[in-house]
Amino acid sequence: MSQTLERSPEAPRSSETKRSREPLLDRMPQWIALVLVGGGGLLVWQLIVSLELVSRILLPGPPETFGEIINSALGIVQGDYVFEALWITTQEVVLGFIAAAAVGFVLGVVVGETRFGQKAIMPYLVGFNALPKVAFAPVFAAWLGFGINSKIIMALFIAFFPVIVDTAAGLASVDRDAVMLFRSVGASRWQTLVKLKLPNALPFIFAGLKTAAVFSVVGAVVGEYLGGGNGLGELIRLSAQQLRLDRVFALIFYLSLIGLALFGLMSWLERRFVFWRKPELLDITTVA
Amino acid sequence: MTTEVSRLGSEIAAGSSKDLLRAEGVTKTFPARDLRALDPIDLRIRSGEFVTMIGPSGCGKSTLLKIMAGLLPATDGRVVLDGRPVVGPRTDVGIMFQQATLLPWRTALENVMLPIEIRHGARAAKSMRQDAVEVLNSVGLDEFEKVYPHELSGGMAQRVAICRMLVTQPSVLLLDEPFGALDELTRDHMNEELQRICEARNATAFMVTHSIPEAVFLADRVVVMSARPGCISDEIEVKLARPRTLDMTTREEFGKIVRKVRSKLDLGGQR
Ligand SMILES: Nc1ncnc2c1ncn2[C@@H]1O[C@H](COP(=O)(O)OP(=O)(O)O)[C@@H](O)[C@H]1O
Ligand SMILES: [Mg+2]
Repeated sequence: MSQTLERSPEAPRSSETKRSREPLLDRMPQWIALVLVGGGGLLVWQLIVSLELVSRILLPGPPETFGEIINSALGIVQGDYVFEALWITTQEVVLGFIAAAAVGFVLGVVVGETRFGQKAIMPYLVGFNALPKVAFAPVFAAWLGFGINSKIIMALFIAFFPVIVDTAAGLASVDRDAVMLFRSVGASRWQTLVKLKLPNALPFIFAGLKTAAVFSVVGAVVGEYLGGGNGLGELIRLSAQQLRLDRVFALIFYLSLIGLALFGLMSWLERRFVFWRKPELLDITTVA
Repeated sequence: MTTEVSRLGSEIAAGSSKDLLRAEGVTKTFPARDLRALDPIDLRIRSGEFVTMIGPSGCGKSTLLKIMAGLLPATDGRVVLDGRPVVGPRTDVGIMFQQATLLPWRTALENVMLPIEIRHGARAAKSMRQDAVEVLNSVGLDEFEKVYPHELSGGMAQRVAICRMLVTQPSVLLLDEPFGALDELTRDHMNEELQRICEARNATAFMVTHSIPEAVFLADRVVVMSARPGCISDEIEVKLARPRTLDMTTREEFGKIVRKVRSKLDLGGQR
């Protein structure tokens, strides 16, 4: 088999010759580039603080902020109130995310797979998506109280739409000939869905789940800002009122870790289940 | 005029052994676009015959093939396969498209077993595993059972698609430009391979192509279609000895048939 596994031996060489023509910045390994940009950012931050362009109270410098991050870390390890808040917010985010994933997936399949869903449900969903969803936070607080339930619903509310859209788009992305092939071997609609369309939609579904992972943090925090409780959002709000911005930044750091962890878990699952597709570098942009 | 020509072709075909697949006055209109895609098509394919169809793009070749496969209803007329009218997808039809349409999350072997799995369930597929392996071996894909499609070249992917089509032992093969996406060298190679497979099984095949040499190389008979609405404008018997080799394609007798098909095709284009 001469045409077996066509991996051209020319490929690495040609990319090397191309490399040496690229500027130094493009040639360096990624980790150095990352450190360079990150360090640059910190430097600018420190300069702004050192030159007192902004009052130290409003913008604590990197050392103060990192000090506070470590401080909080010690507290979290010892199980103090930061730990409590982190745990509450994590529950809100995770449960909201799971609910968003479930609702989004089911509605996505209905909308993507049935003409009725496409004609009668999708227009409402699109209209819904145009609503300023954040404005509903007080409504959920009024309905469900100041506990975690109102935040879970808020996270669900903000995060489920991308899952619907991506699931439906994934189902629609199926190759027409593949559908014909399934019909030609007598596949039922259910078989076509389960053995062809859903596996084919997996990359899209995971893209939606990654967006939902980030959105559910937004939902939970907005829920906390506007609906009280004992989560990280409430702590951040209080710290900001006390002008303890080093704390605010430290808490936001931990808040981001929840979203990043969820996002990372989705990326890991995607690599496991969508093994036939090379991970795309562009995926990183969805974190932002 | 057109119907006369196609009737003439049918009479030639009816002369010899039994028809396995027959299109009788098949027409197709797409009402949504108010488009008449096929004028009455009459076509007979004998058992063991390899018929190729050639015609300008958009003249309705794929539409006709889908109707013959029972994937699309005819507006008028009917298709008869093995004595029974085709009213939907049939187990005795094997089909193949321009793209291999392999499922990337399944290994080559699992792709080959897909039709069995869908028709008879996962357990039946498992018990047929050895047969599927043998089909893969027969097209030179030994030890490729566990390889995933993204590791296969275009030609190899189409070989797997051939295996998937053969594994259910269909009595007729319907091929829609199966090698149209391959480079010319691979394509020649695949044509030889396909000829060998069809000879070995005495297969009956109907293949759509837009390459004249390919149409002539494989065919016992080339059917020429003209456009708008699609109808059969000519049929040309190809009486070259088998097995045919790529060498033969440079010979005068081959070139003569190619030129003949091309002239008919041009005529079709002028209308
Ligand atoms: N499902 C469909 N709905 C409407 N028009 C179609 C459909 N399928 C094919 N057509 C039209 O029918 C004509 C023949 O198409 P096709 O059979 O694919 O041509 P070919 O395979 O010969 O290139 C084209 O004009 C095409 O646009
Ligand atoms: Mg076509």
